[in-house]
Amino acid sequence: MKHLNRFMLLIPAYLLLGLPGNLYALQLHSNSEGIITHQIGHLFFIFSMVVLIFIISGKGLTIHKGWRLIQLSALFFILWNGCALAAHFLDNQIYAVSIEQLVNGYAEIRTRNNSDLLGWVYYGLKLDHLLCVPAMFLMYRGLSCLVEEQKAGQGQD
Amino acid sequence: MIVPYLPMVVIDITGAFAMVVLSLLCCYKARILRETDQDNALFLYLVWISTGFMIFGVSRSFGHILRQCLILTSNTDTWQMIAAFSGSVNTVSFMLVSLITLFFNKSWEINEKILSSRKKLEATHEQLLSLNQNLEHKVIERTEMLTSSEHKARRIFEYSLDTILVTDARFKIQKINNAGIALTGYKKEQMLEQNMGLMDFIAHAPDWEHILKELNTNEQILNEECEFLNSDNMEIRVMITGGVDYGAFGCAKTFHFIIKDINEKKQMEQQIAQADKLAALGELSAGVAHEINNPLGIILGYTQLMLKESSEFEEDLKIIEKHVKNCRNVVSNLLSFSRKGSREMKNVDIHKMLHGVVDFLRNHSDFRNVKIQLNLSKNECLRVKGNAQELTQVILNLMINACHAIKDNPDGFIALVTQKEKTHMLIHVKDNGTGIPKQHIPRIFDPFFTTKPVGQGTGLGLSVGYGIIRHHQGKITAANRKSRGAQFTIRLPLVDTNSNED
Repeated sequence: MKHLNRFMLLIPAYLLLGLPGNLYALQLHSNSEGIITHQIGHLFFIFSMVVLIFIISGKGLTIHKGWRLIQLSALFFILWNGCALAAHFLDNQIYAVSIEQLVNGYAEIRTRNNSDLLGWVYYGLKLDHLLCVPAMFLMYRGLSCLVEEQKAGQGQD
Repeated sequence: MIVPYLPMVVIDITGAFAMVVLSLLCCYKARILRETDQDNALFLYLVWISTGFMIFGVSRSFGHILRQCLILTSNTDTWQMIAAFSGSVNTVSFMLVSLITLFFNKSWEINEKILSSRKKLEATHEQLLSLNQNLEHKVIERTEMLTSSEHKARRIFEYSLDTILVTDARFKIQKINNAGIALTGYKKEQMLEQNMGLMDFIAHAPDWEHILKELNTNEQILNEECEFLNSDNMEIRVMITGGVDYGAFGCAKTFHFIIKDINEKKQMEQQIAQADKLAALGELSAGVAHEINNPLGIILGYTQLMLKESSEFEEDLKIIEKHVKNCRNVVSNLLSFSRKGSREMKNVDIHKMLHGVVDFLRNHSDFRNVKIQLNLSKNECLRVKGNAQELTQVILNLMINACHAIKDNPDGFIALVTQKEKTHMLIHVKDNGTGIPKQHIPRIFDPFFTTKPVGQGTGLGLSVGYGIIRHHQGKITAANRKSRGAQFTIRLPLVDTNSNED
């Protein structure tokens, strides 16, 4: 054991001292890393919400209204994440769509191939609060139901 | 393409506000949920996830509102500067929410363990409660049993007619019951204060040594008979059973004794034995007397015939006649003892008969210096069915014996006492003379038993008296008085006082 430890110490020492080369202190990051990180975050969010939905079902918690509502909330968050993911992909990653505010209360959506459909899709994607607010509301309702169930259970005891 | 901008702005701002409000409400509800059951790990998980959503919602909404404000106020450049930071915070916040969400499984497992432990704890608690209740019931039950047992033991101890005695290892009295107090004649406090022991009550040292030896050898004694000395120095025949008790719960070694007073029983046994013996002697005497009586009659007849004619043997014949008469007298007494003869039985007034005896004896030379006390019962006249002559003979005989016993005592007296006892009456003849030696008491009614010198008594007086009293369905007993002298007691059945047949 003692010999093994000594051997393990000698390897990095040899690599450091015996094989010298150029070393760059800091790695340079491009601008796109931010949006990719953000998109990975959304994917992670989707993944965790999917896991949550399956776990709630797997544990048999769907018999409780509260947990069913939380499950539904997770579904809405998945949809919202999908929506946000798509919007960020279009405007920040491939720059297929851009939006510019006009002075008269209108905005101009410019699409790469002048597709109105893409423009309207993007317009719909920009209204993502229509998904995340219900998701949060469902989460609130789910918790409220759990509180009520819990209090009702304690009242029976 | 041109699209309306206002809906986007309105939905963005109101949505952002709604997100803030809803996420805060979620946090609030999750906290309430947690408060309902502090040990529930799932509720704790919901608090975490709600907090995560709150951070996410607030940070995102803040960014959105700020963006709209800056864009609407034509500060787009400023927003461009902040946008990266806002986006980063937003990214971190929903990644945080995602991370927390993934802890659901672990939280579930922890919660399951907590619930399982809680169930086990509750089951154990119930078992403990049940055990505790059982224990309480058992303690109550045992206490009741113990109290009942203690009560029974105490009643047995206190109300036993036999003496129950508890002594320490050195036989010093620790506890004694009421029967024991009555037997010893001492007060309980006196016995305890004076540190009296069992050995102080055993009259004879060899008896105590024997008891001690038995206790040391066998740790118990069973029905050991000995004389017990009471506070009046009177010896009482007792039977002792006892044993050692090594005690429980660190109690010291003690001895427990049960002392049974068998004095009366012994006396009764002796009386029965005496009666049996005298009955046998009576049978024998009757047989002998009957066989001797006829030859004596013939001898006396021929002697008296020969005396009618003068002869040189006249003096010798008179001697023969005298001794034959003596013999006939003895035989007659023997017959009286065995009561084979028949007598006329009438109602006898005992008091009248006793007055007659006393009047007769007061004129007798031997009784001139004797004080005779006549303490007769105050009751109506006591009558017995019997032969007045025979009863007079018995009383006279007892009085003469008493007179002989007090002849050396200048203050000698003889007392005649009568007593009524339901259907019987008692006549006591007491004196303050020398008393009867203890060893003579069992033989005192035997025929021919006498303590007088040869020629001064036949030894038939008391045995004849015994025979007469027995013939009257009565009893006669002899004992020494506590103070000094002897006491004879005659017990006779009374007749119905309504019949005045004389």
